[in-house]
Amino acid sequence: MNHRGGWALIRSTWLSWMEQRTFFFLVAFGWMVPPLIYLFVWATVAGESTVGGMTRDAFICYYLVLSFVNQVTYSQTNWTVGDMIRMGDFNRLLLYPMSPTYNTLASEFAGKAVMLSFVVPVILGLGLLLRPEVALSPAGIAAFLPTLLLAWLLRFLWGYWLALLAFWLTRTDALLALQDALVFVLAGQVAPVAVLPGFIQTLAVLLPFRYMIGFPVEVLLGQLAVGELLLGFGLQVGWLLVAWILFRILWRRGLRHYEAVGG
Amino acid sequence: MLRHLRIIRVFVAASTQQELAYHANFAISLLNALLKLATGWLGLVIVFEQVDALNGWDYAAALAVLGVYLLVGALRDLVLAPSLNQLAGLEGDIWQGTFDFVLLRPANTQFLVSVRQWQIFAVFDVVMALLVIAAACAQITLTAANLLAFLLLLTGGVITIYAMMLIFSSLLFWSPGFLFTWVFDGIFQMARYPVGIYPGALGLLLTWVIPIGIITTVPAQALTGDISAEMMLATLIFAVVALAVASLLFRRATNRYASASS
Repeated sequence: MNHRGGWALIRSTWLSWMEQRTFFFLVAFGWMVPPLIYLFVWATVAGESTVGGMTRDAFICYYLVLSFVNQVTYSQTNWTVGDMIRMGDFNRLLLYPMSPTYNTLASEFAGKAVMLSFVVPVILGLGLLLRPEVALSPAGIAAFLPTLLLAWLLRFLWGYWLALLAFWLTRTDALLALQDALVFVLAGQVAPVAVLPGFIQTLAVLLPFRYMIGFPVEVLLGQLAVGELLLGFGLQVGWLLVAWILFRILWRRGLRHYEAVGG
Repeated sequence: MLRHLRIIRVFVAASTQQELAYHANFAISLLNALLKLATGWLGLVIVFEQVDALNGWDYAAALAVLGVYLLVGALRDLVLAPSLNQLAGLEGDIWQGTFDFVLLRPANTQFLVSVRQWQIFAVFDVVMALLVIAAACAQITLTAANLLAFLLLLTGGVITIYAMMLIFSSLLFWSPGFLFTWVFDGIFQMARYPVGIYPGALGLLLTWVIPIGIITTVPAQALTGDISAEMMLATLIFAVVALAVASLLFRRATNRYASASS
């Protein structure tokens, strides 16, 4: 493993992306809007009473934290890897004297660092403007970090194995669009999972999407009982293992199958 | 006028040929249109599972807003977005300095940049949007007067979104590295719900400054007969003024254009 080269790559990607930060700020802005829409929708719905046990302030907190988690876990790499395989740019990656993982890590860290430098101040500003009353427990904060890390890994690997299907299919962006739609409905974006109607709620709890975004938010805000928390944590780890296995299988078979095109 | 129609026909034919070369695009565009419909509809159903009215908007009225949002969005994706993207998008003409080739053509520049690229599969989105509007109409008592007002204000809405997109595109002439159009695209997403759910100053901002309310909420209100004559007149005047301002700004912007490199 060539760690020094890998570190240099991460650094150079970060520096060059920081230089084009307005571009990334605009992308981050576009991703922030949907959670904001649902913040206002549910704040309006809740009004002076509660919906699904959540008050107006609870919804505002939920969506402010969600827009942060969404930004941390969103992986733009998933969208580029399929194109790279199809167009043959993937050759260059394979010829580097280090693992292609570093390229992925480089864009993940660089992208996240640049976007969060925009998103965090905006969220804090909105928090000051809307002033929701919230009580965070130390236990919630302690459980938040590991679930956030797992959520990021899960969302990344889940998207990555879908993107690797590009070794066999030409257009994996259709699968990613489908995945985004499922994430929108089931991950806690359109509504917190607790507010979803019966059948969709069961699906949301069982399928992996909630564990990519909504789950860490619920954990931080202390909305889950101990039993729900443990079940959720177990499902999150379980789905991560599934994603990891699928990723390994598709990566090995894919590389063997891959015939360089162009380059 | 006839000449303009002929030019449009040529652009449509050329774009269609380009797009039909990629067979997979057909299925993928259809899938994306279905996903947009499904997520939009679920976004309403889940909310109205909890309440009967959202700040005075019942399900049918909110469905009408969603339908107008999808329809205006589809018309945008059909021609305005692809065309203006070629001008002011990522690596577009202003960015790369290839705007010279547009300026040299013997036709009105604003007309050319607004209609030169068509994304014909957006027709799927148009169909889905019309289905949503029809579903909304089925739940209200529709009068001929309301339908007429709706068509009038929908035209006003389309004019307004075109004007806004042209304004945001023109700004790129002053600052070629900043993708102003993306700012508008981001904000336009908020138009899928009635503008009345956004509190105080934000609601006013979204009606009269970045007028997504005029683009989707107002036509939907006309359909459900929930709008005053003064508001109708005001939005129509707004649309005409916005178009005039946008055209003026675009002309000033093109005068600034100094090409790129050699």
